[in-house]
Amino acid sequence: MAGAIIENMSTKKLVIVGVILLLFQAFAFMVGGLIAPSPTTAVHYLAIKCVDTVKHRQEAKWFMPWGPNQCDKIRSFDEASAKMIEANNIVFAVHIPLPDKEMSPWFQFMLVILQFDIAFKMYNQIEDGAMVTVDVGVAYRDDTVSEWTEMAHSYEQRKLNCNFTTSKTFENEGRYYECDLLPFMEVGSVAHKYYLLNIRLPVNERKKINVGIGEIKDVRLVGIHQNGGFTKVWFAMKTFLTPSILIIMIWYWRRITLMTRPPVLLEKVIFALGISMTFINIPVEWFSIGFNWTWMLLFGDIRQGIFYSMLLSFWIIFCGEHLMDQTERNRFSVYWKQVGPIVFGSFCLFIFDMCERGVQLTNPFYSIWASDVGTELAMAFIIVAGICACLYFLFLCFMVFQVFRNISGKRTSLPAMSKARRLHYEGLIFSWKEFTLCACPSIFVQVNEGHWHWGEHTVQVNSAFFTGIYGMWNLYVFAIMFLYAPSHKRYGDDQSRDAAANSGEDIQLTTTITHVDGPTEIYKMTGKEAQE
Amino acid sequence: TSTAPLTGYIPAHLPIFVCFRLTGNEPLSILPLNSLPEESVGRAHYKLCDRLKLEKKQRRMCRRDPGVAETLREAITMSAQECQYQFRFERWNCTLEGRHRANMLKRGFKETAFLYAISSAGLTHAMAKACSAGRMERCTCDEAPDLENRKAWQWGGCGDNLKYANKFVKDFLGKRSNKDLRAHVDMHNTNVGLKVIKAGVETTCKCHGVSGSCTIRTCWRQLKPFHEVGKQLKQRYETSVKVGSSTNEQAPPLLQLNEQIPRTMNLLHIEDSPSFCRPSKYSSGTAARKCYKDKNCDAICCGRGHNTQSREVTRPCQCQVRWCCYVECKQCTQREEVYTCKG
Repeated sequence: MAGAIIENMSTKKLVIVGVILLLFQAFAFMVGGLIAPSPTTAVHYLAIKCVDTVKHRQEAKWFMPWGPNQCDKIRSFDEASAKMIEANNIVFAVHIPLPDKEMSPWFQFMLVILQFDIAFKMYNQIEDGAMVTVDVGVAYRDDTVSEWTEMAHSYEQRKLNCNFTTSKTFENEGRYYECDLLPFMEVGSVAHKYYLLNIRLPVNERKKINVGIGEIKDVRLVGIHQNGGFTKVWFAMKTFLTPSILIIMIWYWRRITLMTRPPVLLEKVIFALGISMTFINIPVEWFSIGFNWTWMLLFGDIRQGIFYSMLLSFWIIFCGEHLMDQTERNRFSVYWKQVGPIVFGSFCLFIFDMCERGVQLTNPFYSIWASDVGTELAMAFIIVAGICACLYFLFLCFMVFQVFRNISGKRTSLPAMSKARRLHYEGLIFSWKEFTLCACPSIFVQVNEGHWHWGEHTVQVNSAFFTGIYGMWNLYVFAIMFLYAPSHKRYGDDQSRDAAANSGEDIQLTTTITHVDGPTEIYKMTGKEAQE
Repeated sequence: TSTAPLTGYIPAHLPIFVCFRLTGNEPLSILPLNSLPEESVGRAHYKLCDRLKLEKKQRRMCRRDPGVAETLREAITMSAQECQYQFRFERWNCTLEGRHRANMLKRGFKETAFLYAISSAGLTHAMAKACSAGRMERCTCDEAPDLENRKAWQWGGCGDNLKYANKFVKDFLGKRSNKDLRAHVDMHNTNVGLKVIKAGVETTCKCHGVSGSCTIRTCWRQLKPFHEVGKQLKQRYETSVKVGSSTNEQAPPLLQLNEQIPRTMNLLHIEDSPSFCRPSKYSSGTAARKCYKDKNCDAICCGRGHNTQSREVTRPCQCQVRWCCYVECKQCTQREEVYTCKG
């Protein structure tokens, strides 16, 4: 039976492979840090208050905040009361982007956040649990002269979560409330050059719509989109990585089919990991440049979800197959207890994502967090997914613990053997550490400045982390497929060598574990050292 | 430039308070230009820029972008209102009536320091706001020519409007080569305004990774409401530090000047403020000023005592309000004591 390449490789070669991988890793970080700009840009927009003068209009009219054909503006609402303008006739207009700029499909997605500037007035305070109802429409056009085409229109409710930090007295009138950000709009593709948002806050006293929402002074929006440069670098990376992983995958599978025995579970899982990595890598995003595919954002989420659940399953099975007990494994059904939480957790997240981003395909203004029921539902999904993650983690920890216990238990009978295995577990733990060490900073670093100045160069830390981590996973999958592919060095004689090297207890294991068993280079080396 | 020949440096530093004859109550009526429809704009903002009392460089900056003039006016209104709000309980209630203000700006009082600081802060604030309202033609990405701009925007987005506003104001108010102490102090106070704005910037973030998790986060910088800035500047006004001596009017050498101006975030003044009790060059005095009994009547009236008037006041009460433009209230009549300072 063939050992894996990692076992039959000389230390020198292993080191070389390691160094090459490290170089690629550094390269991935550098691509993000030095070439790419920051991943996203946030642009501030202040809504212009337009006056809709004509009542009961039939067709929808769009109000432009600036440029030719701009609307009748008012500067403040004091002016509006003087002119006897009603709330229903005020339209908040925002043009995305700002003058002289245009949006591009390279921006990939666009999300908009809503903020109200609400002034405190003694006789017009925000009531508890106030909901604001917005009547919002978004339109697009691709040149500066043509008519606007409606993209979506909706009535949305958002909960105003505001607090007033100073005391509520006459003296503090005019100060602003501090309000939470409100998610407003999310579009999965930026296919058009210009977008126009028209927001109304209609008042209906009978139905209690927009009553008790305080004195709104201004409506501000923040538009977030991915930077074109970052998208280009990202696409380039994907386009480069796809064939690399694909080639190693084909090579790996060919090696496995060349063997006389059918592939074992671990080999299948590694192959599946390769497939899910390729699934992420395939640069279908190129199509988003030409086509208006709004589902790209959701699709990206699904792809990532599949990869991460595959990776987690792989770790569990990797551990399980290294458990040196007498149980017969090598079947996927054995692991249902551990893989179950992963599948269930990712299913929960999938449902949640479908509820949020799935619905946004039809209504870009939808947010599951806007309603109380939705919030509870979303929280339920996330909590269940969290519990699943905890369960999984416990299982994994328990398995790693078992592995160690078994190793130390067998150390007396198999001193060198356990050492070799322990190296593998150390490898596993190393990859764990690598995972946690790399995943945490990606969240942590963004709290700080987005870029560092390093001499004359500006290093985009966020971009570096995105490309770095993406590169890391690719290298990880690449390395696993390469190192754990069956080796056909000494194809004929390793069966006997295995048998000779291992005690009777371990012969049972060789039927299930292909790659750890058998004396490895490291083992041989350490054995030699021990002899000396 | 009426004041320029006399002092030589004021207009450059303070376009804001010098250029308009502004009372704070009627700022919008000063310039009828804003009611013109924008179609006819073309070069209309040139006129507006010419009406403002600006220096050569400032006029160029104003003409370069139609939004600047409007923003300048907005900045003035905003700063003036905030100043009056902050000083409503003080003897000097930020009267910005032409003559008084011009005289005030020629001196080195604490109040002058406040005016300099709040005007630069107001301009930065207004500029950042104008950027996000799309009122400015060139906001961020303004360094390169048009084509490059577009490329920069598509490649990496553009810097935040705050940075631009800061840069613009620094440019606009400019560095003057005046060597005398007051010019230095004024410059310092202007910079304090900018620094307070900068210190009051809040970073807000939004997570939008997979399923809305924080794997991807975008942060942006946001200005605090101008009220906060006014409040902080008022605190700095109260802790203002006196530097130099007003008796030594000859310009001391530059080295010495730099030593005299401490590196501080406090406002600086050169001379002690007048009492503002009686009508003077700087204010119309506190006679007939409304005051609050047991609170500031003694201070405001400078010990001259106050008149008490009892009158019926009708106040709106039990109001029904909409968020915009509609208030229906009952009128409630109350008896109220009004205190005014004796002359």
